[in-house]
Amino acid sequence: MRTIPAAVRNNPYLTANIAFSGVILLIMVYSAIFSPLKDNYPVTCLHERITGEPCVSCGLSHSFSLILRGKFDEAHNWNVYGMRVFLFFAAQFLMRILFSVVYFRNNDSRKQLIIFDIAGSIILFFLSFHQFLVYIFKYS
Amino acid sequence: MEEEVKKDSGQNLGVAALITAIVTFVLAAIPCIGLIAIIPGIISIVLASVGLSQAARNNSPRGILVAGLIIAIIACMISFSQVFVFSKIAEKADKWPGKIEEIVNDVQNDVLKDLEDANISIKVENGDEKVEITTNIDKKDREQTLEDLEVESKPENDSITITVTTGK
Repeated sequence: MRTIPAAVRNNPYLTANIAFSGVILLIMVYSAIFSPLKDNYPVTCLHERITGEPCVSCGLSHSFSLILRGKFDEAHNWNVYGMRVFLFFAAQFLMRILFSVVYFRNNDSRKQLIIFDIAGSIILFFLSFHQFLVYIFKYS
Repeated sequence: MEEEVKKDSGQNLGVAALITAIVTFVLAAIPCIGLIAIIPGIISIVLASVGLSQAARNNSPRGILVAGLIIAIIACMISFSQVFVFSKIAEKADKWPGKIEEIVNDVQNDVLKDLEDANISIKVENGDEKVEITTNIDKKDREQTLEDLEVESKPENDSITITVTTGK
């Protein structure tokens, strides 16, 4: 039984790229479907429910939806870090496509490409999620 | 054919583990929903572990499985650390009533301190009439005023006479 194409199955890097792209697409679809005007988001902040205090990522869904609708000022008001996190996901989506194409075309420099991708993604992740991680780890 | 199937064993589980691990990682990094990430994290670790054992038995590639396992473990650690966030905030919440009282007292003291050296100006307008009263309630000025008043109204004799009149 073969469910995964051989080219992808034999390349964990490509599988990871496809998986991550899929996750990002789902995030974008979620942000596009649910509207900040109707306020019909199914996910609510667990943090706020338990402690009664809003957390650093509260309003992120609203912010993403507003960014997708081109309302950047409102998005910033909902969550200060919304734009930064959104740009991380957008950049990652483009990077997955770009790096997959480069990976297919260059057989010789695949290892360097993966190292470059991992390093770049880690730096981008820390730049974008820095405030969230500080918030999580300051209590740990 | 059978050998090929054997070589691919664990790969489907690896892909599933990797996808779940990535979802876990994204969820774990967001404080609002970070705690939920423990569930897919555990699922991902189980999938990767089962896949690894199958891969080890049939000597098939393990790259994707190891990647999924590592990402899932890191994501689970980030997610689990949020338990501490909740407990610390709950701890803080217990101390808040006392802190609020302290803050209110501080603000009250600051306001009183500011008022000690304040200049007060009252303007009353009624049509064309305009009355303006300006006073300085500087502490030093008030002390000086009190001293002046004491000097001015100093009685000649220290004795006080009280007259009580009763009558029908």
